Amino acid sequence: MGYSFNISTFNNVLRELSADYIIYAPVKIFNKGVFSDTDLVTYGQIKTLEDIEFEEKSHFSSKEIFFPITQTLFYFTEDAFSLPKISPKKIIIFCRPCDANGIQRLDQIFLKNGDLMDNYYNELRKKVHLFVLECKYSFDTCFCVSMGANKVDRYSAFIRRAGDTVLCDVSVDFEDRFSKYGTYVNMTPVFIESNDIKVDIPEKIPKSIFYHKLWDEYSERCIACGRCNVVCPTCSCFTMQDIFYEDNPYCGERRRVWASCMIDGFTDMAGGNSFRKNKGERMRFRLLHKIHDFKQKFGSNHHMCVGCGRCSDVCPENISFTACIQKLNQAVQSSDQRGLKS
Amino acid sequence: MNNPYLPVKAKIINVKPQTEIDYTFRLETAIKVASGQFFEVSIPNVGEAPISVSDFGDDWIEMTIRNVGKLTNVIHKLKPGSHLFIRGPYGNGFPIQQMSDKDLIIAVGGTGLAPVKSILSQYCKKTIHLKSLTLLTGFKSPADILFREEIEEWRKEFCVELTVDKDDTKNWTGNIGLITGLISKVSISDITNTQVITVGPPIMMKFSVIEFLNRKIAKENIWVSFERKMCCGIGKCGHCKIDNTYICLDGPVFNYYVAQNLID
Amino acid sequence: MLDINNKKLIKNGYRITNKRQITALRIRVPGGSLDVKYFDIIKDIAQKYGNGKVHITTRQGFEIPGIPMAKISEINEIIHPILIGMESEIGVSIHNPKTGYPAAGTRNISACIGNNVCPFANYNTTELSKKIEKLIYPHDFHVKIALTGCPNDCIKAHMQDIGVIGMVLPMYDSNRCIGCQACVKNCQKVATGALTIVNYKVKRDHLRCIGCGECILKCPVLAWTRGEKYYRMVVMGRTGKKNPRIAQTFMEWVDETAILKVIENLYHYIDQFIDRSLPKEHVGYIVDRTGIQVFKDYVLKDVYIGSLSKIANYMSFSGYGHEKSNYF
Ligand SMILES: Cc1cc2nc3c(=O)[nH]c(=O)nc-3n(C[C@H](O)[C@H](O)[C@H](O)COP(=O)(O)OP(=O)(O)OC[C@H]3O[C@@H](n4cnc5c(N)ncnc54)[C@H](O)[C@@H]3O)c2cc1C
Ligand code: SF4
Ligand code: SF4
Ligand code: SF4
Ligand code: SF4
Ligand code: SF4
Ligand code: FES
Repeated sequence: MGYSFNISTFNNVLRELSADYIIYAPVKIFNKGVFSDTDLVTYGQIKTLEDIEFEEKSHFSSKEIFFPITQTLFYFTEDAFSLPKISPKKIIIFCRPCDANGIQRLDQIFLKNGDLMDNYYNELRKKVHLFVLECKYSFDTCFCVSMGANKVDRYSAFIRRAGDTVLCDVSVDFEDRFSKYGTYVNMTPVFIESNDIKVDIPEKIPKSIFYHKLWDEYSERCIACGRCNVVCPTCSCFTMQDIFYEDNPYCGERRRVWASCMIDGFTDMAGGNSFRKNKGERMRFRLLHKIHDFKQKFGSNHHMCVGCGRCSDVCPENISFTACIQKLNQAVQSSDQRGLKS
Repeated sequence: MNNPYLPVKAKIINVKPQTEIDYTFRLETAIKVASGQFFEVSIPNVGEAPISVSDFGDDWIEMTIRNVGKLTNVIHKLKPGSHLFIRGPYGNGFPIQQMSDKDLIIAVGGTGLAPVKSILSQYCKKTIHLKSLTLLTGFKSPADILFREEIEEWRKEFCVELTVDKDDTKNWTGNIGLITGLISKVSISDITNTQVITVGPPIMMKFSVIEFLNRKIAKENIWVSFERKMCCGIGKCGHCKIDNTYICLDGPVFNYYVAQNLID
Repeated sequence: MLDINNKKLIKNGYRITNKRQITALRIRVPGGSLDVKYFDIIKDIAQKYGNGKVHITTRQGFEIPGIPMAKISEINEIIHPILIGMESEIGVSIHNPKTGYPAAGTRNISACIGNNVCPFANYNTTELSKKIEKLIYPHDFHVKIALTGCPNDCIKAHMQDIGVIGMVLPMYDSNRCIGCQACVKNCQKVATGALTIVNYKVKRDHLRCIGCGECILKCPVLAWTRGEKYYRMVVMGRTGKKNPRIAQTFMEWVDETAILKVIENLYHYIDQFIDRSLPKEHVGYIVDRTGIQVFKDYVLKDVYIGSLSKIANYMSFSGYGHEKSNYF
């Protein structure tokens, strides 16, 4: 059902929702950019429409809202475990289609990989309602269309801002809240239909490509910083940490924190064994996870990567993820096997 | 809701040093396991690690743990009566039930003996059936030999060949040399009906498999057990992933036909 | 031959050169950053009055050589937009912008490119240069000031009477930290080793930290972010014949107001203690004479010292002399 608002009527909706929901959206935080006197666009809590950053892509995805960077799994005292309490409030996330699709990829890992469901993820995840923001234009590194992640069919609301007017397509669960302040209109969501960047993803990737020289340059270029993983809406890896409290070493907690397959130590085992020591191999591993392994594993019709372009946006070494996909595609397509190392 | 990360407390009922750095811990628990599966074992405050089940009975499991780091250090200080925290079992074990009419050759290096030990003891207890069983086992030196007493028992029931890489003690009378030497000599009577299990350090497994392939054992008849970093054991943390395979879910035991394509 | 008052000529921003009656004009460029429209003026003067060349000075000004002294007043009229644009408009009071520069003692404030461009810089050096220029120019006292965005000190603030080095207070959000140690290893390698890992999270030793902001730059998850801007002031560095030496830290973790106030106070101190029997006295030698304590008393007058701020109790200026028999 479509509704139209002006800024203040829309803010009325937000105000009412905030009684039951914590509301997140891309926001611009003054002077919190990495570089001095620059701003950071990232997900943060909002109160009003004006708090939402509509023009810029957020640096991080929204995943940290329901997959916290550091998450306590349980506390322990000498003899007992106790679970952390979570806020009874539900969650609304204003996000673009790529991030909305990214959440489904995470669902696949946390809820459907293996027989056991990740209850910590599930508990937060089931609170999340998505208000999808319409993309008016695609940013220069976006390739969501190539990844089939430009569209979302399930959302609680779809939001278009046009100047001082806000148009929403609302699902039944939110109908009362929206109808109270809005006027009924016809509204059809519009999605980006093409990006400047298009990639062709090879359907079949032969194992021989593992030994292709195309990865070599990344051993020289990549500094294994892991930025590409932490900004990715679909990277789900984590590491366990047990910590004891300094004032009482018998009490502590077990936590998980995000992990990155690009950073040293990801595969380290006791006794000094580790895998993918050079960065070219890590690049291959990450890239193939995003555009091959996931789809292969789950037999789904989409890849893990949603084409948000963030990994290219943040790489300090200017490594373009899409350029690497193209190189891979060329290598796979070409019958010329000279690139293969023996 | 079910919380797969919450471990349960398990009482240590026996601790048996095997070598200076490998101790076997017997835990009281009724959890049912299969040979080749593993648990996530932890001491809250210290850490958690995947550890294979080395043996099990109706109300106990045994784990043979090498002291190599933060957690295993602390575990080694534990005495009977104290507790470990475990969750599991995880992973797929060895398909022993399907081997009842086969000749099974097990080739293991070092601590690789632990995950297969339960097969050997069950065979002795006749709770599993095989046409024949041969154990080829290699250790770094005589001091590193695990399950000495058990090995003597096993010798009575099936063929056991043991070798050490080197001996500084000068009073070692057994085989000296790499396990691949044993593999090249082991008698294989019915090649199509022979199954092989090999477990050990990556290098040892690699060369053992090559040797078995030389002996014309088909890839489909070779089983290996992988060790990778694991933080969850349940397909979430991503550390154990190789291509589209999660070692914790799809392994740690793999048929070599599959394993040959697992490239880190 | 023209009758020239050397002192007046120098004060007007011109130079006595190795050719009689030929001078060189020095253009101030506070902070080393200027609108290219001024290039036209500089170019015209060089082509019309000079020898067609321009020298870029170490202090980031321009020096236009080969100018006949007779043309000075004509040239002063031509450079008047430069004085308006680069001095008056930033708040420097110039009585008559058509008569050229009113003073040359206090040198051009040089600055590295700062956070307008450089990722390491912790503040806008261009903007701060303007604020300082407004405070200290025109003045005859021989003072050299340079601003640098971070402790890399690309502008060589350590060779100045006053060097201002940008600092930032790194703010740590332990919940964001993934324990990758990038910040820890990097601080150890390129800065001071102020960071350690305790219980999988990072601890910062504030005493070791130099506020360079490297940890913020290295953190992939923005567990480190920028807190308040701060500054470190190094003082009494100098080149010269007698006793070249590198500047020493006088204060750190101070804010911009404190920096401006100390610089302002410095001029009162010089005024009080300069040896007027000399044609000019460089401030460093005055400090050598009065001792650091008197210097401190003067420059810290009415300076707001924040809770983080530290003022040096002791500074060791040795530099080097020329007791050559010791070396050769
Ligand atoms: C399926 C499987 C079965 C195993 N079975 C046994 C066994 O039966 N007996 C035995 O002694 N060891 C076994 N290991 C190895 C054992 O997990 C490591 O020795 C153990 O993690 C070391 O932990 P630590 O804290 O003492 O060492 P540290 O070096 O201090 O390790 C710190 C952390 O690194 C990680 N880590 C290090 N090595 C490994 C590793 N090999 N695998 C996974 N994570 C690792 C863990 O997260 C650990 O908490 C097995 C490993 C796997 C994957
Ligand atoms: S791999 Fe890169 S482009 Fe794809 S979803 Fe992740 S961050 Fe976005
Ligand atoms: S790319 Fe790396 S960090 Fe991201 S989900 Fe895959 S394995 Fe994990
Ligand atoms: S962001 Fe760039 S440099 Fe950093 S790990 Fe990823 S590819 Fe390598
Ligand atoms: S600001 Fe510089 S010195 Fe201080 S902790 Fe960070 S990297 Fe180290
Ligand atoms: S760089 Fe960031 S994430 Fe890594 S250890 Fe430092 S603060 Fe933590
Ligand atoms: S151990 Fe975590 S995914 Fe396999």
